[in-house]
Amino acid sequence: MSDDYSDDDYYYDEDEDMMDAEDDDGSAPSDDDMDMEVFDNDFKIPGKAVKKSYEVDAEPLSQAQVERLMQADVDHISGIFGVEASVASLLLRHMNWNKERLIEKYMDNATAVNVDAGVALAEDEAPKAATNSRVASSPKFSSTGPTRSTRSFKSSKVKSPSPKREELFVCPICFDDTQTQTMSLSCTHKFCASCWNAYVTGKIREEGEHSIRCMAEGCALVAPDPFIHEALGNDTATWTRFQGLLVRHFVSCNRNLKFCPYPNCTYTVSCPAAATKSALLSIVPTVVCGASPDHKFCFGCAVESDHRPVICAVAGMWLQKCHDDSETANWIKSNTKECSKCQSTIEKNGGCNHMTCKKCKHEFCWVCMGPWTEHGTAWYSCNRYDEKASQDARDAQSKSRASLERYLHYYNRWANHEQSAKLSMDLYKKTEQKMEEMQITSELTWIEVQFMKKAVDEVFKCRMTLKWTYAMAYYLERGNPKELFEDNQRDLEKAVEDLSELLEQSIEPAEIASLRQKVTDKTVYVQKRNEIMLEDTANGFLEGRWEWNSTVDGLD
Amino acid sequence: MDARLRRVNKEIADCKNDRSSKIQLELVDDSPFHLNGSFPGPEGTPYEGGHFEVDIRIPESYPFQPLKMKFITKVYHPNVSSASGAICLDILKDAWSPVLTLKSTLISLQSLLCSPEPNDPQDAEVAKHYMTSRSSFESTARYWTHIYAGGPDPNAKDGGKGKDGQRDEVAIAGLEKAHVNQFEALGFERGKVIDVLRRLNYRGVNVTKITEDRVVEELLKP
Ligand SMILES: [Zn+2]
Ligand SMILES: [Zn+2]
Ligand SMILES: [Zn+2]
Ligand SMILES: [Zn+2]
Repeated sequence: MSDDYSDDDYYYDEDEDMMDAEDDDGSAPSDDDMDMEVFDNDFKIPGKAVKKSYEVDAEPLSQAQVERLMQADVDHISGIFGVEASVASLLLRHMNWNKERLIEKYMDNATAVNVDAGVALAEDEAPKAATNSRVASSPKFSSTGPTRSTRSFKSSKVKSPSPKREELFVCPICFDDTQTQTMSLSCTHKFCASCWNAYVTGKIREEGEHSIRCMAEGCALVAPDPFIHEALGNDTATWTRFQGLLVRHFVSCNRNLKFCPYPNCTYTVSCPAAATKSALLSIVPTVVCGASPDHKFCFGCAVESDHRPVICAVAGMWLQKCHDDSETANWIKSNTKECSKCQSTIEKNGGCNHMTCKKCKHEFCWVCMGPWTEHGTAWYSCNRYDEKASQDARDAQSKSRASLERYLHYYNRWANHEQSAKLSMDLYKKTEQKMEEMQITSELTWIEVQFMKKAVDEVFKCRMTLKWTYAMAYYLERGNPKELFEDNQRDLEKAVEDLSELLEQSIEPAEIASLRQKVTDKTVYVQKRNEIMLEDTANGFLEGRWEWNSTVDGLD
Repeated sequence: MDARLRRVNKEIADCKNDRSSKIQLELVDDSPFHLNGSFPGPEGTPYEGGHFEVDIRIPESYPFQPLKMKFITKVYHPNVSSASGAICLDILKDAWSPVLTLKSTLISLQSLLCSPEPNDPQDAEVAKHYMTSRSSFESTARYWTHIYAGGPDPNAKDGGKGKDGQRDEVAIAGLEKAHVNQFEALGFERGKVIDVLRRLNYRGVNVTKITEDRVVEELLKP
C-alpha cells in the first residue's frame, strides 16, 4: 500500500521509456539542419563529447508527453480512490497536482475534498426531488463496479412534440423556448446546449479558465472534461485550447517543469537540476524547448533567454541597476558618436568596434574612443576599468561620481555588446548577399559558403556572452579570480572584434579562398575562447570561487 | 435575432411590466446595452427616502460575463467608492452567474445597501468609519442620502439647523464640528483639517486614541 504513496515530485521519472518514445507531434528536423551537421564538422573542437559545466541537463517535452504525465497521475488517483478519471482529474487540479496532499486530505475527509473541488455538492445543497438524478455526493464516485457510469452529467433531447405538454423548456439564460437540447451537471441545473456552449467557450477563450463552474447562481459544481467536450460540440479548436490550459496549469504546479515562453509554443522543458532556489546560485539553466532550437530560455528567471555566464540573481541585480540608473546612462545608448579627431558624427553600422571616420580617416575604438592602433596589436585593455590609471582622476572627484563612472564603464561595454549583437542582424543580411556573390564569382558551393553564416552566428553568440560578463565583472570583488575572469573576457573580446572586422571586409574574388580559411580559423578560435569563458565561469560558480562586492540574493 | 439583444430586450420589458419591485430601467442612448437603472433606498436604513441611480453597461458576452455597474448617485457605503461610485460586490465579479439579470442584480445592489460588508471594502476610509462608530457612520450616510439622493433632511426634525441648500463639508466628511473647529483654531486651513481628520478616522473612540500632536504632525505635512 505504501508504495502507492511513495512517489515524490520526480514522479515522471517512472515514465522514462514512455517519454523516450518518438513523439508524434515533434517537429521533423529541417533539411537545413542535415546539411549544417555535415558542415559543422569543420568547426568541431576536438575532444568535447562530455557535458560541459555550463550546460544543464534538461529534457524538452511536447504537449502530448506532458499530457501523458498528467494522465499517469490521473490514472493513479483514479485507481486508488476508485473514481472516474474525469473526477480524479478535477481533484488533482483542485489540489494543484499535489498527489500526496490530495491523498492525505481525501483519506481524512473525502466528502469535504469532493465539495471543495466542485466534484460534489455539499449535503444541504444536493438537489431534492430530482427523480431521475443520482444524489451527488462522494459515495457515488467511489463505486468501482462494472456498472459505473461513464458520465456524471446529463445531456438530453427534449422531444418535440413532447408527449408531456408541461415539459416545455424555457432556458433561464437565453429565454428561448425553441431549444431542444439541454445539458446539466449532477446538480440538475438545466440549461440549453447553446448557452452551455457560449459559456464554456467564453470561459476558455476569454478567461483562460480551466475550472468551469455550473452556470446556476451559487452552484459550485465544476464541469468535468467529458462534459466540456460535449458542450463544445465540434469546436475542436476550443477543445484544443482547453487541453493547452490544463497542460499549462499542470506545468505551473510542478517546479521541475517550465512552459516554453515563446509565443504560441506548446512545448515544456523538464529541468529538475534547476528546480530549487539554491541550485540557481551555482548554475545558469539555459534550456531549449523541443519545438525549435531558437526557443532558448532561462529555466530560472525571465531576465533574458540566455544570460550565461552570470547566474540569475546577479543578472537580475544588474538589470535592476540599469533600470534605476537608466536616465544617467541613456546617452550612451545613442547610435551615433563624434569622431574624436574631427568631431563629425559617425553612425555605427555593423557589429565591429573598429571605427574609421569617413571624413578624416581617423581609426578608433567605438567603446573607449581611443585610437585603434593601440587595440589592434599587443595591448588591448578596452575591457578593463583600469583602476590605477583612473586613480588620480578619481581622487579629484567625489566618491559618488567615481561609483557612477565605475558603473558607466561596465554599462557602456554591456550596452555596446548588446547593440552590436543587434546590429549583427544587419550584418547577417549583408553576409547573405556576400554568400550569393561568392557562389557566382567562385567555384564554391552553397554549403561551402556557409562559413560566413556560421561566423556571424558565432559573433552574435559571443557578444551575448561578453555582454553578461560585464554585468558579472561589475559585481565581482577585486582580486585574483576577477583578474583571471577579465583576462578571459579580454581574450574573447579581442577575438570577436577581429572576426567581426573580417566579416565587414569587402570581398575580392581572388581572395575568397584565403578569406574562407581566415574566417574559418578565426571562427574556431572565437568558439574556443567562448567555451573557455563559459566553462571557467561555470566552474567558478560550482567551486564557489567568485566573490562579490554586493550582497547577492540567496548568498551569504 | 442576436441572443444577447433578445435577452436584454426581454429583461427590459419584464422590468417595465413589473411595478411591484420599484426597479426602473431607462435607455441612456439608442443602444439597449447602456442603461440607467434606479431604485429607492431600502427602508430602515440611512439610505431610506433616497433615489439611487446606477450606470449599467452590458458587455459583449453578456450574460456570460457580468454586467458592469457603478453608482451615479454618490453613496456613503463601505462597499461603494465615495469618489467614483465603483461597487465591490461578488456577483459583479467571480460569483456572477448567467442566470442573474438586470433586475436581480439591481435588487442585490439594493440589499447591499442594507447589509454592508466592511471586511471586503471598496472604500477603506468609509469602512473604517463604519467599524469605528456605527451611529456616526449612519448619520453621515443619511446626510449623503439627503444631499445627493434627494432624501429627507436629517436635521429638519430637530429644529432645522444648518441653512437649506448649503452643504456642510464637515457632515459630508462624517466629522464633528467641534473637532474641526479645534484644529482650525490652531491656524490650519479648514479644508486641510477636514481632510486630515477624515483620513485619520478621527471619530468615536479614535478621538481619545489619536493624540493632538499626531494630528498636528499630519497637518504640517505638505
Ligand atoms: Zn439557453
Ligand atoms: Zn449546478
Ligand atoms: Zn518553444
Ligand atoms: Zn536566469
